[in-house]
Amino acid sequence: MDLLRIEHVTKRYAEHTALNDVSLSIPRGSVYGLLGPNGAGKTTLIRIINRIIMADEGTVLLNGKPMTQQDVYRIGYMPEERGLYKKMKVSDQAIYFARLKGLSHREATTRLKEWFIRFGIQDWWNKKVEDLSKGMAQKVQFIVTVMHKPELLIFDEPFSGFDPINANLMKQEILRLRDEGSTIIFSTHNMASVEEICDHITLINKSQNILSGRLDEVRHRHGNNIFEVDFRGEREALISALDGHCTLLDDGTTAEGIYNQVKIHVEDDSDVRGVISVINQSVELRSFREIIPSMNDIFIKAVAGQLKTVEEK
Amino acid sequence: MSAIGIIIGREFRERVMKKSFIISTILTPLLMVGIMVGTSFIMASNVGEAKRIAVVDRSGLIAQSLTSSDWIAYEPTSSTPEELRSQNDEQMYGFVVIGEDIIDNPSNVALYTYSTSTMEVESAIAGDIEEIIEQHRLKSYDIENLPQIMEEVEADVTLRSYKLGEEDEEDKESSSVLAFGLAYIFGFVMYMFVIIYGSMVMQGVIEEKSGKVLEVMVSTVRPYQLMMGKILGIASVAVLQFVIWIVIIFVGGSLVMQFMMPTDLVESANAISAGTADLAAMEGAGVDPELAAALANATDVGFLVRFFGSFLLYFLGGYLLYAAMFAAVGSAVDNIQDSSQFQTPITMPIIIGLVVMMFAMREPHAPLSVWCSMIPFTSPIVMMARLPFDVPMWELLLSLAILFATFVFMVWIAAKIYRIGIFMHGRKPSYKELWQWITTKD
Repeated sequence: MDLLRIEHVTKRYAEHTALNDVSLSIPRGSVYGLLGPNGAGKTTLIRIINRIIMADEGTVLLNGKPMTQQDVYRIGYMPEERGLYKKMKVSDQAIYFARLKGLSHREATTRLKEWFIRFGIQDWWNKKVEDLSKGMAQKVQFIVTVMHKPELLIFDEPFSGFDPINANLMKQEILRLRDEGSTIIFSTHNMASVEEICDHITLINKSQNILSGRLDEVRHRHGNNIFEVDFRGEREALISALDGHCTLLDDGTTAEGIYNQVKIHVEDDSDVRGVISVINQSVELRSFREIIPSMNDIFIKAVAGQLKTVEEK
Repeated sequence: MSAIGIIIGREFRERVMKKSFIISTILTPLLMVGIMVGTSFIMASNVGEAKRIAVVDRSGLIAQSLTSSDWIAYEPTSSTPEELRSQNDEQMYGFVVIGEDIIDNPSNVALYTYSTSTMEVESAIAGDIEEIIEQHRLKSYDIENLPQIMEEVEADVTLRSYKLGEEDEEDKESSSVLAFGLAYIFGFVMYMFVIIYGSMVMQGVIEEKSGKVLEVMVSTVRPYQLMMGKILGIASVAVLQFVIWIVIIFVGGSLVMQFMMPTDLVESANAISAGTADLAAMEGAGVDPELAAALANATDVGFLVRFFGSFLLYFLGGYLLYAAMFAAVGSAVDNIQDSSQFQTPITMPIIIGLVVMMFAMREPHAPLSVWCSMIPFTSPIVMMARLPFDVPMWELLLSLAILFATFVFMVWIAAKIYRIGIFMHGRKPSYKELWQWITTKD
């Protein structure tokens, strides 16, 4: 069952519509990428899920039931703009937020100690946030977000401000939380990290959901029938054999030399098998691989309105 | 614990545990006592050294009658002014030259000093000489039993004032000195508390907004809870500070009563409280009845409880009213600099209250005083000035009711500005926009 369902949510402000009839479902246990250019409405959607603001129309269902104020205890949210009380001790601060999320003082202290040991930051316990570096404060923010073991975790640009080592640590932690049963919404502009950790995505542009689905399925759906062919044998024979069956995009000649690799575009899915048999007859086929577009390409094309297929939700 | 409770706890702890709170709470009363003791000590020590003034009396009538006081010592001398001038004795303050015809020509007298003299010294010397001349002139009329007559003529009026009690109540001796002092001090304390703690709320909100903590907070609690938690948390800090000060004043006051006040003064005050005061006996013992009456009032527990109780209620009402407005301003701006424009309409009524307070201390029952002690924006300060002058109970209750009703209304308005303001970044809103926020539905 889906953990979270957004149904026909619309939010209007005085001058503009921030979200226009957006629907999406987030499966339990998924890492769900929420993508979109700046100002598309991602933050508005996240705020609606967090009940920071209310939708004008539509409903948000958690576990199939409309969300209530009590449900915010089951959400952990790390906003893009990180915020901690600068003058407060790290430990006091984390316990404070955890108590607001419904943990007892004792329980919060125990869990916080576990996290401090996990991250090897025991000596930060009595430090004030203003004495921490940006990356250190980010770690504290992460702990604050996940300490109450929420069912739903929302991270807005979680890796910004981390060095590569710590970004990797965060990624491992996010995946570990997923393995322990949390569902994760992950909002970012970094498409490489989307490909690494997301299994579902939704792309919001101009207040609307323009693209949704499983990550691999979305990428395949937007493949342009471009294939890479590795072979052994007569290059000329292959090229002349392919003529008429498909378009040759790259014949493998580069400034450094000639490789036994070509790129082709097949007009229609149904022609693929025919093309393979033609290749097979002319040369020894070593590999035949579809080139799947990167999320980056899909993102740019989708936002520019150049996707060839009309998406259905 | 509820979310508001947790928030109040944090606001309270973070402020009370700060060094600055502990220092200001303990040091402020000590500082005030220190200043009072220090200045009186300095004044006392200055009086100690008497100014020695040589007297060259050419008339031969004045010098022997001049009596030295604590701070001016007259030393008749036979030296000539020229000799005195050349002596320039550092021990001496200066010398007075009295002319031969001083009785007929009182202006024939001069003071020469080695350094610049003060008006105080000059008028004291002039006064002393005047008295002697007057006696000489009176003597010339040759009236019998003159000293006795003079003594009988002299009058010293001490006005005791009584406040008319209810039928079954005794008329109570009141002290306008104490009432005046209390009105003045507590009006000011009220003003300071409302401004200081009100703007503390504003700073707290701005700090949360600029530090981006708000986004994290409001994903957990409602903006209204956050705002009220902050307002009430800071209120509890203020109340704690006030209570500590009251305790210090009481303990310090009773210590002073016990060990430092002259016992006859304390006894007289007790006598006035008990209604058995004997004024003549008091004066005979050298006790100032006015002072004793003030002391009697100051130690009247019933009066003090009523006074401090009212102060606390008015402080809470006034603080909550203004804190809500300060919170709304804090939420609407990004930094302290931007807030000044919106602070002006808030601080204006407080300052008006302060001005009316000065007036109300002299005219506690004038229409202006009564009205301003009803208007919630000025009532906490103005009522402080009226309180020692017997405000009817119904006026007190009505004024408090208006104050608290306005507070509830103001919180409602502030919450509407707050819940939108905290998400507005970058630009300072106009009053028109603020009005739009207030009228926007959820």
